Amino acid sequence: MTMATLDSKKSSLSSNTLPLVALVGNPNTGKSTLFNRLTGLRQHIANYPGVTVEKKSGLLRIGHQDLDLLDLPGCYNLTAVSRDERVVMDVLGGRHGLRRPDLLVFVVDASNLKRNLLLASQCAELGIPAIMALNQCDAAKRNGIHIDTVLLAKQFGIPVVETVATRGRGVDDLKSAIVNALCNPSFLPRIQWPECIAKGCQVLQTGVKDLGGDGVTQAEALRVLFDNDSVFTCGISDKICLKKMVDAAHQDIRGLGLSPGSAEAVLHYRHLESLLDGVVTTSGSVARSHESIDAILLHRVWGTLIFFVVMYVVFQSLYSWAGPLMDLIDTVTGMAQGFLSPLLENMPVLQSLICGGIISGVGGVLIFLPQILILFFFISLLEDTGYMARAAFLVDKLFSWCGLNGRSFVPLLSSYACAIPGVMAARTLSDPKARLTTILMAPFMSCSARLPVYILLIGTFIEPRYGAFAAGWALFAMHFIGLALALPLAWLLNTFFLKIKPQPFILEMPDYRVPTLRNIFHRMWERGREFVLRAGTVILAFSIIIWCLLYFPRNPSVAEKVRADFSAPSASALSNNALEHRIESAYIEQSYLGRFGKAVQPVFEPAGFDWKITVGVLSSFPAREVIIATMGIIYNLGADVDEGSEDLRTILQNEKWTSGPRVGQPVYTLPVVIGIMVFFALCMQCGATVAIIARELDWRWATFSFFGMTTLAWISAVVIYQIGKLF
Amino acid sequence: MSGTLDGLQVGESAEIIDISSDCTRAGRMSTLGFIPGRRVTVTRLAPLGDPISVEIDGQEISLRRAEASLIKVK
Ligand SMILES: Nc1nc2c(ncn2[C@@H]2O[C@H](COP(=O)(O)OP(=O)(O)O)[C@@H](O)[C@H]2O)c(=O)[nH]1
Repeated sequence: MTMATLDSKKSSLSSNTLPLVALVGNPNTGKSTLFNRLTGLRQHIANYPGVTVEKKSGLLRIGHQDLDLLDLPGCYNLTAVSRDERVVMDVLGGRHGLRRPDLLVFVVDASNLKRNLLLASQCAELGIPAIMALNQCDAAKRNGIHIDTVLLAKQFGIPVVETVATRGRGVDDLKSAIVNALCNPSFLPRIQWPECIAKGCQVLQTGVKDLGGDGVTQAEALRVLFDNDSVFTCGISDKICLKKMVDAAHQDIRGLGLSPGSAEAVLHYRHLESLLDGVVTTSGSVARSHESIDAILLHRVWGTLIFFVVMYVVFQSLYSWAGPLMDLIDTVTGMAQGFLSPLLENMPVLQSLICGGIISGVGGVLIFLPQILILFFFISLLEDTGYMARAAFLVDKLFSWCGLNGRSFVPLLSSYACAIPGVMAARTLSDPKARLTTILMAPFMSCSARLPVYILLIGTFIEPRYGAFAAGWALFAMHFIGLALALPLAWLLNTFFLKIKPQPFILEMPDYRVPTLRNIFHRMWERGREFVLRAGTVILAFSIIIWCLLYFPRNPSVAEKVRADFSAPSASALSNNALEHRIESAYIEQSYLGRFGKAVQPVFEPAGFDWKITVGVLSSFPAREVIIATMGIIYNLGADVDEGSEDLRTILQNEKWTSGPRVGQPVYTLPVVIGIMVFFALCMQCGATVAIIARELDWRWATFSFFGMTTLAWISAVVIYQIGKLF
Repeated sequence: MSGTLDGLQVGESAEIIDISSDCTRAGRMSTLGFIPGRRVTVTRLAPLGDPISVEIDGQEISLRRAEASLIKVK
């Protein structure tokens, strides 16, 4: 389907004429797989307003009927303490301008029926028509679990369809069940609450309203009753009065011999057990297929070893295997520039805008794709086989002290190649707080774009003077410093600043499964497309803005002056090429960014940076790797130098202060060199990362991260220089 | 004899009595199957000793010691 028809479809969706069907279920039940089966590629990813939860919707075409299909975030229950968690309740209740679904499709894992149905039992309160997709029937059968589907449907009063989402089995039956259910709705049986809970809810319903909160439904009142700090009480100022009401209700619950914390689950499980009586039979001993594999993969020694091997492969593939593809994108970008540049010879501004701004901007977006695709290939593979949960189990302890968790490992590791895929990979964390922290820490990991700076400076100043051994250590230290600072910072952030409550880190160990290529490629396609469409546009815009700042005002008199200076009889003769480099350098000095660099040089004075380093640092804010090219321009060598350039190294070694108190002294002393490297290690010099953080969280966090890291980098560079000066 | 879940050795099992925590956390844990009356068995420890992995109602679930210590067992 072409984009145009898709767009016209989208607009017809928003006119609210199509029935809305929502998939609801626990994590890992096969909801996304089923969603993809039902919608094909006709889907659309956005965020719910005001929160960082992903909203996946798509067009479901059944015969001639079009429906709107929504994939609700996977969850175990309706507990709503954070705004992120509230989304499911808000959709089901049709709050905040969200559309209330006309039909719920409960996706349940047949191997674990009772636990999966708890969510359904909670949702029954909302009185929305429902059907059930009994998924992963194949795995259940293999595990010796037999389910009497007819009895199940009879007991729960709703249609039940057996499906195997990975193979597409039962999907057509599910489609017809959806169409039928929209005409003949049927409802899940509601739990009979004990008198005191029903009464408690009524009291809370009126109470919340009287205390000035938004009116709550019975289902929402249950949340107020069972969750402390429920989001549904956030409009209420008199929390004490509310607490009294809740406590009174809890006292009644204790009177039933239940504790308020587990009462809800206990009662739902009782309700479900009576309904499920005779539905599930297990033949013989339930073979726990993963037992023997776990014995190795979670073994103290072998498990740890295998973990590191797996992670090494993931990292290598990002760090090295993506290289050729990235080079290819670079080459194609270069070819496009080389092809267009002569055609626009007569229009220098347009030539520079198109070649320097737009094409390199587009190239700068696409360059991230290989790593994103490769990383999501591995993430899907690890998730789908069931290894990811085990990996998180193995290393959780390393991260738990600072508010991250075992699932932070892969995002942080991939950030060593590039923070963009790393930040995107933080989606695999279901706890909003841990996800937020992981995203904020990701840019601290030393990505491959920082490497050229380290190589240039270490190769120029440390290796010649202190030998290869010291150089090796310096390189290692630069890669380590970000991590060493990030973890304590995460701890600080979590302990003192983030007010969101962490969720308990409880992982379900899924069965080992054979992954399907279809699923894996779908995930790669989805993430790649999303990156290009959502973050890519912002990155491109950045790139054009920066081009403007470096190009304008471009007063021709600058070039004339350089030419005049060098054609004066006293001047030494200069080749044409060298003259061009001088002109380029003079233009940069006169550009808005160059002037800004000179103006803010005093800010970097305490770190010992001269204006040239300052302009270099400033111009690398959009993308740190351009520092080398900028230095090439500033030092009159032209933009196509690389970190190994002997000319550049010689110039840096001989660079002296030309004015000020240190006139005649070398600019690049050891403290300055280390300061620059540490500055690069800690600073958020990457427009693309800012854009992706804004995309994954929001602009406030992106701004916070940008200014926070920049300040930290500046402080570190200053401290290093000032201490270094003492020796 | 009664204690908490994190006090059990690998291979030991016990019956859950209660979860001593705030409602939200107890609610989350109980939805996952940690409800009074059920039997839980500790199946293994992570290499660094935390988290632990337990079997409950036929499923394998991993949780941190901090949470396990809230679950009273006998
Ligand atoms: N054996 C089997 N595996 C399935 C089935 N449906 C999904 N899966 C697998 O279950 C895992 C979780 O699926 P996913 O769609 O990501 O689940 P979600 O978290 O509920 O969206 C994936 O590895 C799927 O390949 C099924 O019907 N049978």
